[in-house]
Formats: sequence, structure tokens, C-alpha cells
Amino acid sequence: MKAKFTGTDTYVAADDLMASVEVAMELEKPLLIKGEPGTGKTMLAEAVSKALGKDLLIWNIKSTTKAQDGLYIYDTIQRLYDSQFGVEGVDDIARYIKLGKLGEAFKREEQVVLLIDEIDKADLEFPNDLLWELDKMEFYINETKETVKAKVRPIVIITSNAEKELPDAFLRRCIFHYIQFPDRDLMKQIVDAHFENLEENLLEQAMETFYRIRSIRDLRKKPSTSEFIDWIRAMMIGGVDPDTIDVRLPYLGVLIKKDEDLEVVRKVAY
Amino acid sequence: MFTPFFYILKSNGLDISTTEWLTLMDGLDKGLAHSNFTDFYYLCRTVLVKNEGDYDKLDAAFLEYFQNIKEEKINMDKIDQWLHKGAEPPKVTNPELYRDTRTKKEATEVHRMFRERLGEQHTEHNGGNYWIGTGGGSEFGKYGRVPGGIQLGDHSGMKTAFAVLGERQYQDFRRDKKLTMRQFQVAFRELRQYSRKLDLPKTELDIDGTVDSTCNQGGYLKLEFQQPRKNTVKLMLLFDSGGSMYPHMELCNELFQSVHKANHFKDVKTFYFHNCIYAKLYKTPECVSGEWIDTTYAFKNYDKDYKVIIIGDAGMAEEEYYDKNGNYSGPNDGLSGHEWLQLFKKKYPNTIWLNPRFHGDLTRMYWMESERAIKEIVDMYPLTVDGLKEGIKKLMSDKG
Repeated sequence: MKAKFTGTDTYVAADDLMASVEVAMELEKPLLIKGEPGTGKTMLAEAVSKALGKDLLIWNIKSTTKAQDGLYIYDTIQRLYDSQFGVEGVDDIARYIKLGKLGEAFKREEQVVLLIDEIDKADLEFPNDLLWELDKMEFYINETKETVKAKVRPIVIITSNAEKELPDAFLRRCIFHYIQFPDRDLMKQIVDAHFENLEENLLEQAMETFYRIRSIRDLRKKPSTSEFIDWIRAMMIGGVDPDTIDVRLPYLGVLIKKDEDLEVVRKVAY
Repeated sequence: MFTPFFYILKSNGLDISTTEWLTLMDGLDKGLAHSNFTDFYYLCRTVLVKNEGDYDKLDAAFLEYFQNIKEEKINMDKIDQWLHKGAEPPKVTNPELYRDTRTKKEATEVHRMFRERLGEQHTEHNGGNYWIGTGGGSEFGKYGRVPGGIQLGDHSGMKTAFAVLGERQYQDFRRDKKLTMRQFQVAFRELRQYSRKLDLPKTELDIDGTVDSTCNQGGYLKLEFQQPRKNTVKLMLLFDSGGSMYPHMELCNELFQSVHKANHFKDVKTFYFHNCIYAKLYKTPECVSGEWIDTTYAFKNYDKDYKVIIIGDAGMAEEEYYDKNGNYSGPNDGLSGHEWLQLFKKKYPNTIWLNPRFHGDLTRMYWMESERAIKEIVDMYPLTVDGLKEGIKKLMSDKG
């Protein structure tokens, strides 16, 4: 029986999310995760690695990242530099090949969890450049004529903020999951996972107010799960009287980060 | 055994490839559906659907195939318009007072009546006891008070309706919904054409080139430069600020804001007009006389590379559109709106029209003559995410 992901002590996963992780692992395909900011896309990879006891490798994508960076880099400059000072082993090119995160994941003896974070930040061609590597789990190093092939297929989790559309060819090879904003029941479980002996009344009132704020239509940035947890923490430390939450809206700055939004919320509240 | 299901998914507008379908079969072979319906649904969703905007289509396909319930093909947009205007949930102090004394109708009976009424009704009706609309004592509509009726739209006012038609969980993500600023911004990002044009000075360090040259010289540094990579798109926005546009102000404002926040364009020009383009383009939304430039000045000074987006409801009388005397609020130099628009399109081949009150099929809507006539000159799209995206695709691809 293979290990199955069912969340961790601090990461509560919805049923459909757990199903998606299982499907991705069984079918050995990358899992593409989308969702509102703060719904725990990045944390999912951490939770999976923790729950299954596997190492986590994180490849953070920036707007300038190229697919090649994840495979390997041939450090010509270092080699040239070394040659000028007669350092030993300059003729051995392999010394100047540095593996990227994907390469590192392939080389590992044991299965790892590889997180490719925010893939949509890179250029449009980026995901397509990785098709072969993610499909076959291997790549070829030109300089040394060596093929790097994964010993064990890593569990690949990819997150996207939907800033750019991802190419179809890439999407077709992925297992896709959209993390929905948690409903009240799930939110209660999530909060319970983060706090011991939280006052029932405080949680009740805070949830009420939180979901009311989220339902305001003019809000530019809706508060997320992570902000809600910070908010509860702030109120616990501050010793807020639960019955005044909906009227006084304490520590509102923890939930709402934009000036315009603060005004909107205050206007609606009073 | 699921092959018919595959075609039902396709007919619901899901673009599923054979590879994905085989992946699903693979998943079923591996027992990932766990012989239960929920897990089967999750498996299908995660393997076949690659965009949350399409979740709703999957749900509809599931309903169609597995419950043998053919969903009512109801034009919710039409009904939405009837329900949209004005009405607030009625303030009820004593619900008993409003309890309708008429006997509750059987569900099938109500459904039959609803279909019948939908066929008859062509306009908006609020209050009253018969038509589909807001408030009132009819069985159909929003905020009504008849027990056992059909509730339409999203607000369960008095909660007496036994069916909320059209309420599907993932509808908010549909890309053809009216959109927010963020979505606009994302869409505008696609409006770009990067290039290292030759007429720019070489001001950017070409790192790869430098490394190559340097290594070729045995390590003696040789710097290489290249032209910077820049977006070359120039954009002209033209907003209709006529009276009929007032309900769409917010949407237009969001579009305007997102263009200005995008700031990756080489140049952005914004002008306003009233109903249709005439001899002057106004600099302010108020369309004050004098605060303008000649349209011919624009023709001479802004080259044809400008991509033009016209935002307007194309809602004017046919007579006004073809009238040589033009519009009451500004000079027209003896040409009708129709002729001005033709000139405009000739000068700027890359022009699209975004319409917040877009009507798809106009064949039988003879009163929308101006919209039909404009569509013959300029490609028109609804002012929604999909509309904007489609329009931008057109702007980016069309060369004339």
C-alpha cells in the first residue's frame, strides 16, 4: 500500500484536494495548483513532503528564470577564471556543470517533492521548454555528453497565480486543481489545527465578521485564510472581547492591507 | 464504456484531448475512483479540466450524463436583465402578513408554467402577479413572496422558492462574466509585441554575447551590446460618454484604470465621444465644446500602428447614425457617423469595439440597427473577460 496524503497537523486539506494529490502521485504527473493568494498553494508542497516524509526541493520562478536554469548551468566564467590561474582540473568540464533544482531532484536516490513555485511569472515559453524533461524525467548535458535521468520520479507540484495563461500543451500533461476558498466548516478545521484551546465564542464571532467582510463587493483584495489566522492570533494576544468584534473591528489592518479597502469596510460596518 | 460521456463533455464546451481521456482511463484502471461517485467526479475534474472557469461546464455535463436530467436551456442573461434593475429585497416586518393565501402549486406544474411564461415574455416586469420579475406575487423571479415559486438569480430574498435555478457553485469563475479590474489588467498584458527594433541605440549589455566574445579572446574582456527589448504597442482608447452609457460607468472606469496601471505600452491616448465618432475627439469625459482635437488631426499625427479600442454601447437611433447633420452635441463636418467610422477604420485597421450591452444575434432585433451597422465596419466584442481577450487577440493578429 502506497503512502497517501491526508493533510498534516497544521495543514488541513479539503477532500477534493487530497484526491487530486493522490491522482497526481498515482498517475505520475505534475500537479498544477491554482487559487486565490493565501489559500495555501505553496504550503501544500511543504505539507505533502512532511506527511510522506520526503525531502522538499523548491524552485522559485522569477520573471527572468529560464527553463535551462532548472536543469544545469555551465559555468564558463569560472572555468576561464580558473584557467588563467592554472587551477587543477580545468580540462574536466564536468566540474563546471552545476545542476539546477530539477537536475538535483533527478539525481536523488530517494523520491523527493519538487515544488516549482509561481510558474506563471516566467516568460510564456517557459512551461513548454520543460515539457520533455517533466514527461520523460531526463535531460541531456551537451558539454559532457551525459544524460541525467531520474532514479525515482519526483512528486512535482507546480503553483500558478494565473497572471499569464499557460500553454495548452503543458496543461494537457498536468493534473489540475483549483483550491477553492474554504467554507465555514473547513475554515473551522483549519483554525482548530492552528490554535489550541481557542475560545469558541471568539472563533464564532471572528468567522461571522470575516465572511461578512469577504462578501463586500467593492473590496479590491479580499482577506485570505492566512490573514484570518493572523487576525485571530492578534485578537488572542490583545485579549479582545469577542462580542465587540463585529462592531469595533479590532486590528483590521491585519486583515485588510489597502487603504481604499479599509475605508470601504468601515463604511459598510457602520 | 464512457465514450458517450466523452462526447457530452465535448458538447458542453470542454476541450478535452485524447491524451487526457486516456489519462482518465489510466486513473480508473488504477482504481483512483475508489468505486464511489464523488472520487470519480474529483478524478474527472482534476484530469480533464485545466481551468477553474470550466468547472461549471463539467458540473453541467455530469448532471446531463449521470442524472439523466437535461438541464433547462434557459437564457439566464435575459432574465438577469429583467431582475437586475433597482429592486431591493422587500422589508418584511411580519412574514405572516405576506403569506400568500393561494394554494401551493405542484412542482411540475410550476415548471411548466415557467417555461410557458418564458416563451411569452420579452421585456422586464417588476412587481405584479404574472410575469417574471422582481418582487410581487408571481411565481417567478427575484425577491417574490409566493410560496413554491421559482427563484431566479442569486439572492434568496424570502426563501420561499423551492428551486433556485441557475445557481451553480463555480459560476463566479466563468470567464464570460462581467469582470474586475485585475482581470482586465491580466488581459491587457497580452497586448504586447516585444521587439529589439533596429532604430534604437544599442544600450543594453548582451551578457551571452559578451561571455562568448570574451572566451573567444582567451579571457580578455570584450563587451557586447544590444538593443533593449521593449513593448512596441501603441494604444488609443475611445470612450462613449453618452447618457445611455451611464449604467456602465463603473466598468468603463475599471477598464480605463487598468490600462493606465498596465503602463507597459509605448503610448496611450484617450479620447471621448458621444454616441459615435464625428469631427472632434474630446479630451474629457464631459465632452465640453472646445476641449477637443480634430479627428483629422489625429489621422495626421497618430500613425496607423496605433491599436484602437472603442468602448460604447452602439445604442443610437438609426436616423442619427446615418444623418448627415450628425449628433446634436458636436460638429460633424458634413459627414454622418457611419462615414466617420469608415474613415476611422480605414486609417486604423487595428480597431475593435467593446460593447457593454452586446447583442449576439441581431437578425430579428430590427431596433438595434445601429449596432448591426457598426459591426459591419468594426469587429465588436462584449465588454467581458472573454470579449476583451478575443478582441486583443484580434488586435494582435490582424494586419488589416
